[in-house]
Amino acid sequence: MSRKISDTRVSRRTVTAGIGAAALAGVAPFNIGRAQGAPLKVGVLLPRSGTQAGIGQDCQRGVDITVGILKQMKMPDLQIMNADTETNVDVARARAEKLIADGAQLLVGAFDSGQSTAIAQVAEQKGIPYVINIAAAPPITEQGYKFVFRNFPTGPMILRDAFLNQKEIFALVNDQPKTAVMLHVNDTYGMSILGGTKAMFPRFEMPYKIVEEIAYDPAARDLSVEVAKAKATNAEVLIAVSRLNDAILVTREMIKQRWTPKSVLSIGPGWYEDQYLKTLGKNADGPISFVPWYDPNKKATKLLEDALAKAHAGIGLNTNHVYTFEALLVAADAYKRAGSADPKALADAIRATKITDNVSPGPGIQFDAKGQNDQLKCSAIQNRGGKLVTLAPKASANAKPDWPLKRA
Amino acid sequence: MIGRILRDVPRRTLVLLACFFAVLAAVPFIAGDYVLTILILILYFAYTGQAWNILMGFTGYLSLGHALFTGLGAYSAASLFVHFGVAPWLGLLAAIPIAMAVAGLMGFLAFRFRVSGVYFAILTIAFAEFARIGFDHFAWVSGSSGLFLPVAQYAHNDLWRLRGNPMMFYYIILVATALAFLISYLLLRSRTGYFWLAIREDEQAARATGIDTFRYKMMAVMISAGMTSFGGVFYAFYYNNLFPEQVFHIARSIEIILAPMVGGIGTLFGPIVGAFVLETASEGLRVILEAFGIDVPGIKQVFWGFVLLAIVIALPEGVWPWIARRLGLKERGP
Repeated sequence: MSRKISDTRVSRRTVTAGIGAAALAGVAPFNIGRAQGAPLKVGVLLPRSGTQAGIGQDCQRGVDITVGILKQMKMPDLQIMNADTETNVDVARARAEKLIADGAQLLVGAFDSGQSTAIAQVAEQKGIPYVINIAAAPPITEQGYKFVFRNFPTGPMILRDAFLNQKEIFALVNDQPKTAVMLHVNDTYGMSILGGTKAMFPRFEMPYKIVEEIAYDPAARDLSVEVAKAKATNAEVLIAVSRLNDAILVTREMIKQRWTPKSVLSIGPGWYEDQYLKTLGKNADGPISFVPWYDPNKKATKLLEDALAKAHAGIGLNTNHVYTFEALLVAADAYKRAGSADPKALADAIRATKITDNVSPGPGIQFDAKGQNDQLKCSAIQNRGGKLVTLAPKASANAKPDWPLKRA
Repeated sequence: MIGRILRDVPRRTLVLLACFFAVLAAVPFIAGDYVLTILILILYFAYTGQAWNILMGFTGYLSLGHALFTGLGAYSAASLFVHFGVAPWLGLLAAIPIAMAVAGLMGFLAFRFRVSGVYFAILTIAFAEFARIGFDHFAWVSGSSGLFLPVAQYAHNDLWRLRGNPMMFYYIILVATALAFLISYLLLRSRTGYFWLAIREDEQAARATGIDTFRYKMMAVMISAGMTSFGGVFYAFYYNNLFPEQVFHIARSIEIILAPMVGGIGTLFGPIVGAFVLETASEGLRVILEAFGIDVPGIKQVFWGFVLLAIVIALPEGVWPWIARRLGLKERGP
């Protein structure tokens, strides 16, 4: 029944070998075994392999340190049941089904909006509470779900806070920049931020106007032309929407071309990441990033920082750890108040959540009728001496802005 | 048609085939939702693999961009449903022609200018990438923010609007897989199928014997795309969210071709057997590892990598021809 394929074309063997090699090469490092054991069975779904493996494993660090912290906070124990979504919607759904079949009483995850949506459907069909750690697509909590909760800002909330925090910083430094140039990656993330910025910009009456938008490929190896174009606009501030590698490239190019705008205002990743700080050293100082972050003044933040430093020395506390921790905190807190692992009782308890001893900025963790924590605030953070300080919102700040940008 | 099948296919094969589909039809009554979810995945890949097989297996043209057609099918039907409330079965009337038209354009460019081999494969990747980037900026389908289909708790299954529980989706993909198998069988035994095989074996010789190779290659790519697009419609209504980055990604295209690669390219049972082998083996491996308390992210990809390498070395024709020989099953040659 098999049929011979002509030797003059791509052979089956060649293609199969190529795919096999690609599959092997694309796999993330091994990550063996995690401790288990305690009453509430929480299924944690994270993309620990595939294209989002790095982020998924970073979130997993948040999971690993949480169990000990919850003990210190006198919360009930959680039995963590890990599942790898392989950065794949199909797998996320299948893993959610498996976790529930294996007895998971609550689900947490899954970093990505597509995967989270697939899990949400399973959770809703089975009537198992699901707490999303990180996923920003607004429609997830617009579906009328009764068992799905999200303690993470939506895309519009992130942009709203970026504008509000910028205004707060301009007021603090008593400077109102009049012009800005936007330098952004042209991938999915970059284009969605660009679209959102355009849609929301008029509403916030920002002091500056965006004089030019310059797009570039995230895989670009040279951004000298783009930076030169941005410099030529004479804009007072640079608004950057980047990934890690291109953020490093842009910074290096700015130094090379001796372009020092008043500030770099980054919406999204890249400019505050550990690798950025380590690679650029002193030259990393100055950029301000507008991101979902943590409140350095809250008591629980100290616990989380200490636990992370102890378990993973050299890794700075970040969004992945914070929001994964808080998702598990929501689970433990609900379990404590519900006094039962019954899914409906747990969901009702989550709906009535009011945690003020938390880590993220804002009044605390609570959910609106749709299951969204709409009280969350995002922060403005600045790189300073290889560390990150929080400038805004005022209630979560631990430093004054270093303004304008200084280069040696 | 049925008489022809009964005449052509050995009785032993027919009995085994009937038993196989009968067992699959009975599964929802004995298995839980987890098993059903895995089976839906298996059948989805068996179906799309069968559709891909028409182009590569029967005609010899490698497509590494078939996610393009699942994506076009998914977005066409889902956007019509979201914006106008058009039921997915009616949406198919748009999804299939759109996928076939794009496949026609791709095929025309490739076959008119004699693009073949790895260059044809690159062209298919280019089309899929073009679609991914295009849909990222296509505001009507929400661009990169993702298209979400409304979801609610369904007290009953609505087959017309494809809103319901996993069991309903299971039976839909089971029937689709059986139909794809039947269509592939009939195509392979038709005059067109013979011409495809001639093209696959030696295109120049086929042309020399008077076969209009351009026409038959166009037919292969368009039929393959049309069938694949139904897989996309199923995907959209089963998962209820679409992101260009995920739907059109090359990883999706590779997932589609894995089942026929493992099962046996150019065979009718290959895509089905391959999907079962890959999915059940990787799930089985995971269950075993979990039983030993070992949590290894990415084990499935590692496993797939080794399985593929092992098959390349040990079973270069694929798993199904090997099984068929062992079972004494032999399809009558076309």
